[in-house]
Amino acid sequence: MSSLVRLDGVAKVYPRVHRPRERLHAFTSLLLGREPKEGAEVLSDVSLEVRRGESLGIIGENGAGKSTLLKILTGVIEPTRGTVESRARTAALLELGAGFQPEFSGMDNVRMKSALLGLTERELAERLDDILAFADIGQYIHEPVKHYSSGMVVRLGFAVVAASSPELLITDEVLAVGDESFQKKCIRWIDDFLAEGGTLMLVSHSMYLVQKLCRHALWLSHGKVAAYGDVHRVTQDYLAWHEARNRVEERHRSEARGDHGHYAVRSLELHTAGDGDTPELESGGRLEAELVLRSPDGRPPIGMFGLVRLDGTPVYGVSTEGAPGAMQPLDGAAEGEGELFRAVLSFDALDLMPGQYLLRGHALDPEGLRVCDTLERGFRVRGETRDFGLVRLPHRWQ
Amino acid sequence: MANGLSRGFDPRFFRHLVLRQVRQDYLENLTGFAWLVVQPLLLLAVYAFVFTQIFQSRIPDAGEVGYVAYLAVAFWPWTAFSEAVLKASGTIAGNAALVSKVAFANEQLPLATVTSVFLMHGIGYLAVLVVLQLLGTPLHWALFPVVLVLLVLLWLLACAIALFVSSLQVFVKDVAQILPPLMTFWFFTTPILYSAAMLPDELARIFAWNPMSWFVAGIRDALLYGRLSLGYWDAVMVVLIPVLLFLGLAWFRKFSGHFEDFL
Repeated sequence: MSSLVRLDGVAKVYPRVHRPRERLHAFTSLLLGREPKEGAEVLSDVSLEVRRGESLGIIGENGAGKSTLLKILTGVIEPTRGTVESRARTAALLELGAGFQPEFSGMDNVRMKSALLGLTERELAERLDDILAFADIGQYIHEPVKHYSSGMVVRLGFAVVAASSPELLITDEVLAVGDESFQKKCIRWIDDFLAEGGTLMLVSHSMYLVQKLCRHALWLSHGKVAAYGDVHRVTQDYLAWHEARNRVEERHRSEARGDHGHYAVRSLELHTAGDGDTPELESGGRLEAELVLRSPDGRPPIGMFGLVRLDGTPVYGVSTEGAPGAMQPLDGAAEGEGELFRAVLSFDALDLMPGQYLLRGHALDPEGLRVCDTLERGFRVRGETRDFGLVRLPHRWQ
Repeated sequence: MANGLSRGFDPRFFRHLVLRQVRQDYLENLTGFAWLVVQPLLLLAVYAFVFTQIFQSRIPDAGEVGYVAYLAVAFWPWTAFSEAVLKASGTIAGNAALVSKVAFANEQLPLATVTSVFLMHGIGYLAVLVVLQLLGTPLHWALFPVVLVLLVLLWLLACAIALFVSSLQVFVKDVAQILPPLMTFWFFTTPILYSAAMLPDELARIFAWNPMSWFVAGIRDALLYGRLSLGYWDAVMVVLIPVLLFLGLAWFRKFSGHFEDFL
């Protein structure tokens, strides 16, 4: 497989051009071939390679530089630093607005766009029916594009691009706009396109789409490559990062929690087959959790485990109440600490979907009425799957 | 740039751009096409009235040719040139949606605008020449090919200037304000309303450097007097204009990758 597109150390600095003086400064730097002095570095040191027939998903939060990266890839803008090599003869960028001229009718824009994409008049005439059928916007085709809904613009844009059969297809968050049935049509088309050896670069906020359509993924964060590689690993890390961020926000909101009563969690340890800073296991693997509780009055407290996803979505909870013998006395308490109790919970086949999770250990009073203390530990579940949700439910196909 | 994407000059797309421009400017409003002929005719009438009735101007070297014909043959090419440059200067900013989203050879935008203006004014010019002939001004049609060559050179010069100003206007917005008075100044320093022979010697020597004088004189000589005299200036212009066009293109392409930063 040969390399189709290759970026090496690409950076893009947007000069500040709001005030006339800034424009002049920026233009002077440009004339002198210098980098803009003041500017926003929206991309820094991005290197990537897309081989023929490959599919790369580009993900990242809003403003991470995804669209700028695409503009560099297609050659709309030149990078401030670094090199871009592209061997694609025909490349189509599909995005919101689709490069259409709002004042002109859909038909005019189809002609214009197909000329831009390299279709001859004859080819267009042959494929016009297909384009209109694919877009399926009826008589609106003769209306100015400014009267279109965003979904209709994307429909038309996709239809033209589909008809031009490009070597490299670059889509910027377009599938989210179309309705359900159009999305399906597009995804089917992209599937076929990839099956026939087409090369795809897809920007999307839908990890489902990225995982479905791409083999590799690039995670951009603040203009830098945060992760680049196998699509499952990168998207999982990305989702986990989002969950962690949401969790921090949530924690700020409920700082006041955590009633330090008599019964306390002394320790919570997780054991998995993997090693590393955070415990890690394959989906369906084994997880063992050891919870040690302290009881000042010698009565055995009730231990409880709560399994949540990193963003706090509950997955499963279980307590030692109603499991006689689960809570065992433990020696080794320090002076004045009271009695120690231990419960060990083992998930032999933890069928969690890949992602990051927390296991919380709670200490309840012996009556099981009040949560006195909580300690939590994070762990990561690895795996390659296109299933979605929190857990894999046992199932079979008939 | 090292990019295999279609960024070269694309004749098919260029034709689309030209046709689109023609339709947008002249055919899509009711008066557009009529206006194309009416507006310069009106202006011509105003100038003719002011100069022949009020100032009682006489063109010393006009001979039997009336002032109106003398003015008209030079006025139309100038109008095309000036309108083409002014219109083309705003094409990059005016097509920001296209320029900042789609990779294509951006120079096609100003060039298409210049071309469409020249095409449409070319039709108007032809109509006016026919009217002049019918009204009794003897035109030397045998030398019309010379006029065509001159008009093509004028078109190329407009293209060259359009490339400079349209790209410059992206970076320096003031160009939009500076250009119209500059073109007016150019108009009055070109012997269009008057004849170069009416100028004092020192002024005539300075004005001779104005390339537009060369066009105007050449067109008048050919059409009105049937004269064709090749000289030193002709060689200079035939070399200079392609060089300017080449430089304009080089300048434009050097900066086209940065348009999006400033739009």
